[in-house]
Amino acid sequence: MSATVVDKTQEEGLHEPHPKKNYLTADHTIKSWLLTVDHKRIAVLYLISTTFFFFLGSIAAAFIRAELTNPMGTLLTSETYNKMFSAHGIIMVFFFLVAVIPGVLGNFLLPIMVGARDLAFPRLNLLSWYVFMAGGTCFVIALMMGGVDAGWTFYTPLSSLYSNTPITLALVGVFFAGFASIFTGLNFIATVHKMRAPGMTWFRMPLFVWGQYATGVIMILGTPVIAITLLMVAIERMFKIGIFSPELGGDPVLFQHLFWFYSHPAVYIMLLPGMAVISELMACFSRRPVFGYKFVAFSSIGIAALSFLVWGHHMFVSSQSVLQGIVFSLISFLVAVPSAIKVFNWALTMWKGSVHFTTPMIYALGFLGLFVVGGLTGLYLAAIDTDVHLTGTYFVVAHFHYVMVGGTIMAFLGGLHFWWPKMFGRMYSEFWGKLSAIIVFVGFNFTFFPQFILGYLGMPRRYHYYYFAPEWQVYHVLSSAGSTVLGIGFLMPAFYLTASLINGKRAGRNPWGAKGLEWEHADSPPVTLNFDKPVVVTGPVYDYDAEKDSEMIRAGQRLVDMVKGEEEK
Amino acid sequence: MSSHESTHPDAPVVYEQFEDIGQQQETYVLGMWSFLVNETMFFAPLFFVYGLYTWKHHADFYLAHALLDWRIGGINTFILLMSSFAVALSVHYAQKGRTRAQLNCLWFTIACAAAFIWIKLQFEWIPKISHGVFPNPEFIQNYPHYAMEHGVPAADPYKARLYYSLYFAITGLHALHVAIGIIVFLALIYLIKKKSSLITDYIPTEMVGLYWHFVDLVWIFLYPLFYLMPRP
Amino acid sequence: MATTHHEHHDDHGHDHAHHVIPISLLMKVFGGLIIGMALTVYAAIFGPKMPVQFMWLIAMLIAYAKAFLVVQYFMGVKYTTKLVKAFAYGGFFWATLLLIMLTDYGTRQWEPVPGWTPGEESALSRDLEIDRVPEDVQIHH
Repeated sequence: MSATVVDKTQEEGLHEPHPKKNYLTADHTIKSWLLTVDHKRIAVLYLISTTFFFFLGSIAAAFIRAELTNPMGTLLTSETYNKMFSAHGIIMVFFFLVAVIPGVLGNFLLPIMVGARDLAFPRLNLLSWYVFMAGGTCFVIALMMGGVDAGWTFYTPLSSLYSNTPITLALVGVFFAGFASIFTGLNFIATVHKMRAPGMTWFRMPLFVWGQYATGVIMILGTPVIAITLLMVAIERMFKIGIFSPELGGDPVLFQHLFWFYSHPAVYIMLLPGMAVISELMACFSRRPVFGYKFVAFSSIGIAALSFLVWGHHMFVSSQSVLQGIVFSLISFLVAVPSAIKVFNWALTMWKGSVHFTTPMIYALGFLGLFVVGGLTGLYLAAIDTDVHLTGTYFVVAHFHYVMVGGTIMAFLGGLHFWWPKMFGRMYSEFWGKLSAIIVFVGFNFTFFPQFILGYLGMPRRYHYYYFAPEWQVYHVLSSAGSTVLGIGFLMPAFYLTASLINGKRAGRNPWGAKGLEWEHADSPPVTLNFDKPVVVTGPVYDYDAEKDSEMIRAGQRLVDMVKGEEEK
Repeated sequence: MSSHESTHPDAPVVYEQFEDIGQQQETYVLGMWSFLVNETMFFAPLFFVYGLYTWKHHADFYLAHALLDWRIGGINTFILLMSSFAVALSVHYAQKGRTRAQLNCLWFTIACAAAFIWIKLQFEWIPKISHGVFPNPEFIQNYPHYAMEHGVPAADPYKARLYYSLYFAITGLHALHVAIGIIVFLALIYLIKKKSSLITDYIPTEMVGLYWHFVDLVWIFLYPLFYLMPRP
Repeated sequence: MATTHHEHHDDHGHDHAHHVIPISLLMKVFGGLIIGMALTVYAAIFGPKMPVQFMWLIAMLIAYAKAFLVVQYFMGVKYTTKLVKAFAYGGFFWATLLLIMLTDYGTRQWEPVPGWTPGEESALSRDLEIDRVPEDVQIHH
């Protein structure tokens, strides 16, 4: 049951003496890459840089897991361990998760999907990558100066008064990364509003675009708040003023308010693009339009709006007022509604569909399972009474890894495998792809499911020893062993995807038989201005026909049986 | 970035990602407004923090604010309002194609912005900073002396320091925006004089103008909050 | 920002007649702003003494009126599309969400926690009498 339908005209066109120039072959100099304003090249730049940061963050994670195999915590000192989990959190959140899907897939696909020749502000888009790299460089320098130890949350007064590590430099790095994401969001908003091709109405847009749009709205409304808050921490650190420090008349909880005012919506900056990818994968590989399209589209906007009203559920034990805790707990439950709308609609998309188990689809199904676990455990943490017990334990760690890794990274890898032929014009090995998807899923569950149990038993997060409860070692060893499997699963795509660039089969325009402007109207890889002729959209989105697809598969199967029968005779 | 060849020599340049000039102009205005939304959310937490601490330490903040002169703040308000008016005029002239008058308005705006920063430095920041009234640890010793010299009762120095940290943070960030505005205006004038292909319609002036009005808006709230605090 | 979704910009070809705001109107707006500024100063420095909350209210109302004039006329929002209006005023609206934090500071005393407990030097008691500047302390402008 393969979805690979080779486009004959494309295949023949490749043997012409002068193949058509695409965005990759348009120019070969280093300068043409570093000064490019082509959204597709900027996406490739983002792909390279976020992969580097993911690798860096994973090394820190490896040290954390190695340390925790032993209850006595003998591998690292307490200070080094603090720096390790801080580096892991800061890199993964600010330099990988926030940037990866908008920066890579969003930049590459959003203009093509709405039928535009480029994003609205191409030079701003290039600036966004440079600002991102400037931020990354600041943080890497901070790491080389010994690393920071305040955790990714930079809670005051530890970060503002007591820590002796280069926090200011790290704050500047995060500040820059924030502005990179603001520029990306601004570009997405202007593009979606004003750059749609004729006939591309709001309800003909792929759900990927809806998701990126909602993300862009959160980026411009939320990110400046964290930028200014971190600036205040930096000022407090430099001049020893008392905005957030209690003995100088300030209030440390105020920092937490301002921090989570951004950082809870930031969870959806990371997750909404992932959900956007999943909608595309589900429709394509079930050969059905996404069930309840409008509900899924508006649930993205609903999540974006609600995400700004629930930040207090991170602060139930922080001495915020009890009344506000209760109110935030109630509103937090509401987020389950749009999230559940999405999950049920994806499940119903597959129902009566013609499901193709390709690599991207396996990632998407993995996402579905992991996101359900991550989302439902979120309800335990949204409830104020259970959260008082579970907050600050490994239950929280497991919960947000299920959402962030199981949600965002699974969706990113699924999307990367789905659009890889479009981005680079080559097919990767389907065997290795499926194998890595399964290894990632299994390894992920081995790593993080034991952490739910650990958290329930009371293992606090950010501790590097647990000699007081050596019976937890079995779960930690299980988790560390699983993380090794997970690491192998993450490393495999790096090899077979790179190999596909050299010896992969030419993909042709539409290897998956998918619908959408990027598959039907653009080459693989696309030309510099995306389309050969202006696009006019006339049909609905997700114009799939599952019954016809199944019928064709059955007919093909009959043909194969017939040929086999002939041979046996 | 290359552009479509225009059929008319005077027609505005349409960048390659846009279909026509109308789409391009609308997109640029929308993009600028998205940026200003972002700027609003950038300043909002500072104002919120200031409001919160004014609520908590109202009396001390009131005493601390006595070192600010409402007249100087008022002159600066007037200067900024005038510059905002001049920018609105320059957009008006740009729309009518009267480049000479447009440039005069822009030069006047730059003069206002420079005067704003000069007054701020000369009469507010430099006297305070040179007397050590700057939110660092020494502030606690320096502030009561400085208040005594100026004949005003001193507030609790710790709370006064909080007031002045917020004062320097917010007015500093605002002044930074003013300084960026001067650079952007100079660049705009340079490009207009050079007849650059970047500026072929009134939209660049309009966008810089929107930014400048935003800087003015911040000051409109800042002035009563810092300089005209009512007595509790 | 659900209101923006009703806008369809599929047709880019229509005539974009941009509204040129006449100089006379700009001058009136400038005059309004100067009057607003004068009123703020008068209310705060020379005006009759009023309760402090009322003084803040007046100052902020005048500031909002001035901001409205700038946004509507100088920035030309009155003459733009609904979409730009939604962005211009949506940003202001969204910034007010920060005020939700005040419910925390306003209700902490219901179940006291350290740090922000109401005390002699705190305004949190909602009774601003405690926090008054003594009458004999004079500040001359």
